[in-house]
Amino acid sequence: MIFPFLAVVKKELGSVIRDRTIVISILIQLFIASFSSGLLLGMLSLYDSDTIMKYGGAGIKIGMAGASNSPLESFISERGLTVVPFAALADAETAFYQGEVSAIVFVPQDISSTAEIKLYLPDLEAVSSLIRMVIQEPLKQYENALRAQNGIEVRYADLKGKPSTSFEFVYSVLIPMLMFFPAFVAGSMSVDSLTEEVENNTLQTLLSAPLTINGMIGAKIAAAVILSVLQCAAWLVLLQLNGIAMQNTGWILLLALVVAGITSTSAALGAVLLKDRERSQFIYSLALLAAAAISTLLNVSPITTLSRLAIGDFYTNGWNVALFAVFLAGLYLLLLKTSRRMAF
Amino acid sequence: MNQILVIAWREVTRLRKRFGGGASPIAVILLLAVLGLSGFALRDTVSLGSGLYRVGVSGDVPAIQDSRFAVVEVEAGEGRALLERRVIDVLVDGAQVIARRDDKSQYAVRALKQYMEKQELVRIGSSYAEGQAFPLRVGINYLNPYQAPGQNDAGGAAPVTKPEEVIIPSLTPPPAPFTQVLVALIYIMPITFISIFFTSSFMDEKVNRRLTVLLSTPVTPFQIILGKMLPYAVFALVTTALIATLTGGDVPLALGIFAPTTLFIFAIYLMVPLFYRTFKDTTFIAMLVTTLTTAYLVFPAMFTNVNDLAYISPLTLAVKMYRDEPFGWREYLFPSLPMAAIFGFAMFAGTRMLNEEFLMGYKPITRKVADAIYLVMAHARPPVAVTLWSLLVIPAVYMAQVVMLAFATNLPVGLILGATLIASALVEEVVKTVGIVVLAEHGAVRSVRAILGLSFLSALGFLAGEKLLLLVSISMVSQASVSGALFGAGVFLLIPLAAHFVFTAIVTLLRTKLRFPYWLALGIGTAAHFFYNVYVMRGGM
Repeated sequence: MIFPFLAVVKKELGSVIRDRTIVISILIQLFIASFSSGLLLGMLSLYDSDTIMKYGGAGIKIGMAGASNSPLESFISERGLTVVPFAALADAETAFYQGEVSAIVFVPQDISSTAEIKLYLPDLEAVSSLIRMVIQEPLKQYENALRAQNGIEVRYADLKGKPSTSFEFVYSVLIPMLMFFPAFVAGSMSVDSLTEEVENNTLQTLLSAPLTINGMIGAKIAAAVILSVLQCAAWLVLLQLNGIAMQNTGWILLLALVVAGITSTSAALGAVLLKDRERSQFIYSLALLAAAAISTLLNVSPITTLSRLAIGDFYTNGWNVALFAVFLAGLYLLLLKTSRRMAF
Repeated sequence: MNQILVIAWREVTRLRKRFGGGASPIAVILLLAVLGLSGFALRDTVSLGSGLYRVGVSGDVPAIQDSRFAVVEVEAGEGRALLERRVIDVLVDGAQVIARRDDKSQYAVRALKQYMEKQELVRIGSSYAEGQAFPLRVGINYLNPYQAPGQNDAGGAAPVTKPEEVIIPSLTPPPAPFTQVLVALIYIMPITFISIFFTSSFMDEKVNRRLTVLLSTPVTPFQIILGKMLPYAVFALVTTALIATLTGGDVPLALGIFAPTTLFIFAIYLMVPLFYRTFKDTTFIAMLVTTLTTAYLVFPAMFTNVNDLAYISPLTLAVKMYRDEPFGWREYLFPSLPMAAIFGFAMFAGTRMLNEEFLMGYKPITRKVADAIYLVMAHARPPVAVTLWSLLVIPAVYMAQVVMLAFATNLPVGLILGATLIASALVEEVVKTVGIVVLAEHGAVRSVRAILGLSFLSALGFLAGEKLLLLVSISMVSQASVSGALFGAGVFLLIPLAAHFVFTAIVTLLRTKLRFPYWLALGIGTAAHFFYNVYVMRGGM
């Protein structure tokens, strides 16, 4: 019994490697990974005021005119920008047109409980939005200072911390994407390889071999899962080599395996019921989207579980993986019960 | 026209039959459930890092409802112990926030800061008068930095170019257009889905040979493609209008923005079934195409208002639409023209490829691409075909180079420029030489003189197209130094023309006369091109 099963697994893996489709799949993953980290890099360097300040914030000169000892002045220079004081607004404007300052802040003399200040920016979209980004934080601090004068206390205003975007991106987007995209491909592959047997009329021939229909479907699922786990293992090694620290790698790999099992089993279920590629692929993609949304709503998302395993969350361990394994077992049982419909 | 409508109607009937059976109720219910649920789930998970942090809370603390935080209620003393044991990442004790010194805890503090800032604003706004709660108004004025006011303007108000914009700093939305890009992406998803159906339909008819039957009737390939595309295109546009209505966008404007995009996506998906070999191939190639187009559309749009290069993507226009910011005709045509041009080119190529021999041939993909290029080239005499080819594929080159730039940003900073230069040189050499090489392989050109002549025409066509594109875009992307590197903008036209000619001639002659493998010939030409580009950029010319 086991030999025909292995033969089908071998045939499936062989065809994937021969057709070089797997190369395309790996290329896609590489592209998504590099694309999204490129996007993050770009976003950080253009939109994150901390990063902008780190690379050349001191080069931005802000002219200040009006009230001489406004607290705003110290907030702006604390931020790391260069403040150039002027006696009058007209002087500051002259300096602006001569290119000595990039922007002007005008604070009127008599500030009571509310203040109306002016900000003069160059009419160049890229430059002005950059200045607006870096000056946002000092303006907020000034606003809080004015609030304090009015007797309004703002809590949690002095929190610092470290910029968390990269950390959040790596553990909640990059790692889950690399671990689960192979699973998504595995499902797609199962649909294709099952419906191809039906549409090319090779199913009956295959079944005349000493192999049950469940054995045949199981072998195809096994091949898809093996392929996906191999990719995951490769990504895990590459991520570690890139210096991304990960805890619980064993559980992570097991979770990736279970999820690949779930996607390919549900894909096979769709293919068994619908028997043609067009509809099966469509239903499979929709079901996957729905499952992602539902699991997020029910707070059992495999993505969150994976992120938490990777950062070494105290409350997350093998039992969370076991939950998905139970679900996979149920789904596979359902497939075993319905698989006979494929042969008709 | 009538023929097109007949084919379109046949396509609708086919779809109805296919989805009329058991699958349709399931599909509809699933579709509705997915749209509803993902909308609901996305509402508060647009931030990264779902479930990453554990926060201990004790005393009077505002409720923390952010998908990034899992909240544990603790006693203050117990909380400190948990913090030390790394069970929680940060402890909020009343108005006090206690953290460890390690990175993870500090990241949690920053994430908490972003969230708490918002919550405090809500609290202050609801419990104090507006003037007290938001005591600062900033009037923003824009000055033209190149045009100082005249001498007679005695110290008065400076000339402002736009009306004053008054903001309250703590209520100003962040400049990053995350949300708008996500909304704009909602348009792309259905278009992609619909075009996958279009692909499936084409493949299906190809496999069961109905397409062959159709080709033997007196309808032209053009009518077949257009007819089969029509229902899907109409459906895509209706969906666009629907989304615009639901998201509060401007319907005619949204249609104007997304019509060229729809055509572009359809053009790409038209190519997939023409080249496919097996089911699995189609699935993977469709996946590849989807990721590449999504990347091409999303990446530039993320930089709306920061870099003018953002206008390469039509999503930028949609982002502008949702931010109520105006844009002009030039900004509209900049992304739309290349997309429309690619659609036109794909339609032409499609009609040339739609014949039985090409569709049913079972060859390696590189061979198939070469055959396709030959079919496209063979419609006219070689000199005309080569020049037109080099001129018309420019939009595709330009898109490929943008995608490569996205790839290259992943490299260490020092390598980005070099890698982009090599890749763009490679793409340009492929485009200029492939037509000539294919023609030579089919024996359409033989002598060295003819090949040299064609190389010259190819270089000429390419340069003309490149300069045309540059002319259109020069005012748009003049700030971006990268565009100069990408398109190799030289000052004197003759030197670049000579250079392009030399590289093209090297590759074509090595391939056709000395029988080098194409990749090797290409490598040599690319290397020469790369060093030329580096030389130009160093200020050599």
